[in-house]
Amino acid sequence: MGLVCAAGVVLAQSQVDPTRGETLARPCAACHGTPDRDPLPLTPSLARQPEDYTVMQLFLLREGLREAPQMAGMLKNITDPDFFDIAAYYARQAPARGTAKPDLQLRARGAALSREMGCGSCHLRDYSGQKQVPRIANQREDYLASTLKAYRGNQRAGPDTSMNGILYRVPDSDIEALAHYLAHQ
Amino acid sequence: MNTFLQNCLRSTRFKALASCALGLVGAYALAQQMVGPQTKPPSAKEVEQRKSKGGYYPERMKNPNLSGHAGRMTVTPPSEIPVDKIKVPKGFKVELWAHGMPGVRMMARGSKGTIWAGTRIIGRVYEIKDKGGARQHRILAEKLVQPNGVAFQGGNLYVMAINRVFRYDGIEDNPSVKPIELTAQFKLPPDVHHNWKFIAFGPDSRLYVQVGSPCNICEPSPEHGQIRRYIADGSGMEVVARGVRNSVGFDFHPQTGELWFTDNGRDWQAEDGPQDELNRVSKFGQFFGFPYCHAQGIPDMDFKKQDPCKGVTLPVALMGPHAAALGMRFYSGSMFPKEYVNSIFVARHGSWNRSTLFGFDVANVRAGADGKNAKVTPFMTGFKDPKENKFWGRPADVLLMPDGALLVSDDQNGAIYRVSYQK
Repeated sequence: MGLVCAAGVVLAQSQVDPTRGETLARPCAACHGTPDRDPLPLTPSLARQPEDYTVMQLFLLREGLREAPQMAGMLKNITDPDFFDIAAYYARQAPARGTAKPDLQLRARGAALSREMGCGSCHLRDYSGQKQVPRIANQREDYLASTLKAYRGNQRAGPDTSMNGILYRVPDSDIEALAHYLAHQ
Repeated sequence: MNTFLQNCLRSTRFKALASCALGLVGAYALAQQMVGPQTKPPSAKEVEQRKSKGGYYPERMKNPNLSGHAGRMTVTPPSEIPVDKIKVPKGFKVELWAHGMPGVRMMARGSKGTIWAGTRIIGRVYEIKDKGGARQHRILAEKLVQPNGVAFQGGNLYVMAINRVFRYDGIEDNPSVKPIELTAQFKLPPDVHHNWKFIAFGPDSRLYVQVGSPCNICEPSPEHGQIRRYIADGSGMEVVARGVRNSVGFDFHPQTGELWFTDNGRDWQAEDGPQDELNRVSKFGQFFGFPYCHAQGIPDMDFKKQDPCKGVTLPVALMGPHAAALGMRFYSGSMFPKEYVNSIFVARHGSWNRSTLFGFDVANVRAGADGKNAKVTPFMTGFKDPKENKFWGRPADVLLMPDGALLVSDDQNGAIYRVSYQK
């Protein structure tokens, strides 16, 4: 019952238009990729991200609260309702699957670290994300590693600071193992 | 799955609805499986490993997939703020006093009646003026890193973000004054987690500042986990309270002048605790137990030592499991009935690290000036629906007005309510 009710609330709040979102998001594909093409290095895949997550990040980027030089100026004419449509479009898009073979040892170490750090709690056990918490399964490895380091160094802010807390004093080697594991689901 | 649900719920055809209902049952079963308890509890070795990773134990909770509530960054129109759902004791009245300020949190009042309010993620400081029965606001500062702390003394407004400190001299007479930056003088650590500031001036004219522990549970470095005081220019720093996890509210007793503060209990130990604390500093530099001893003397499950509660000052009152007891003020006004005088109003922002919501209200605490015989009573409620386990509002701070009314900020709706009393 819980799931049905929760979904009801999501609908009530959003009269979203993913088709309009697709048009708005056309310029994004050059860097963020398409179902057939991976994003550029250090650039996140936006496909199948929870809508709340995409809306929140677009807001933070437009307001200059999250710094990403590549995004500077890209959102200046994008309004709040646009955010919801763009988010709806990406939430319905299938992510491209990377083909790189995992390093099994590194991947196993990452899996153990993920369990220790409770990643699967907020991001869910399949790392598909929920609410404002992103999908990290099969995200680009270089983007994951750089984002985790940015959280540790307090250069990246989320909707709260829990990621900064989790990454407190975590060494590079652990971050790299985690990123490898999450990128190879 | 989202697409599937949306298609289902949008469909108008009866047949389609029936098949949707069946599909939903299947989807629900799958979701149950996905969010079900983790397979096995961590081994002793794993517990040891997790200590250096912030101490996250989802398998100790009934719902292992708890995550923080997303704040709302967009403006909530007054028509979407159900003030009539708020409940207060007989004789009290609640009205929507100001709105349209996403993320509005900690409040301070100037000597000429201006209110300033800090925020977290949205990075703004709002300035609110009462214009003959209606309130107007402007954004005084923006793009700061969680400027949660605001305080006023001697005509000057102090704003404290996580990494920066500003002073606006004579701002009520000169609204366009450029702030003076005092960041270098205050020498605050750069960590962001649990380091959004609560600040207030004490009866000693010193500026009291919290510096939280940058983790859920850890052995914090010496500059963290404390409440400090400074001379207003940022010099003369002294540590007033130690062993503090994350305090986002304090005030000074109207009779004794002693510092009382709220402190948020750790997460991922259990559904029902350790509870948040209301503490009293009766001796300078007292130790309040973090990370070894919580609440009324509960040893930490992960950070263990012999006699963990030895030398620890225990709380005056427990404020509830994962309640997020934040802004608090003593009541020294004359509007409310006399039994409220010297009692404390505490904004309980509400739990996320708990399967069943707790808090989402303003509590009233009555206690002796010595901290004895404390009693906690919910005062302003109705922000959550216990049956649905959902909430619509989150009290973050309270502020006493000169006429004795109480302002309550709600960062989920970008609103400030006014609570008044009439016999």
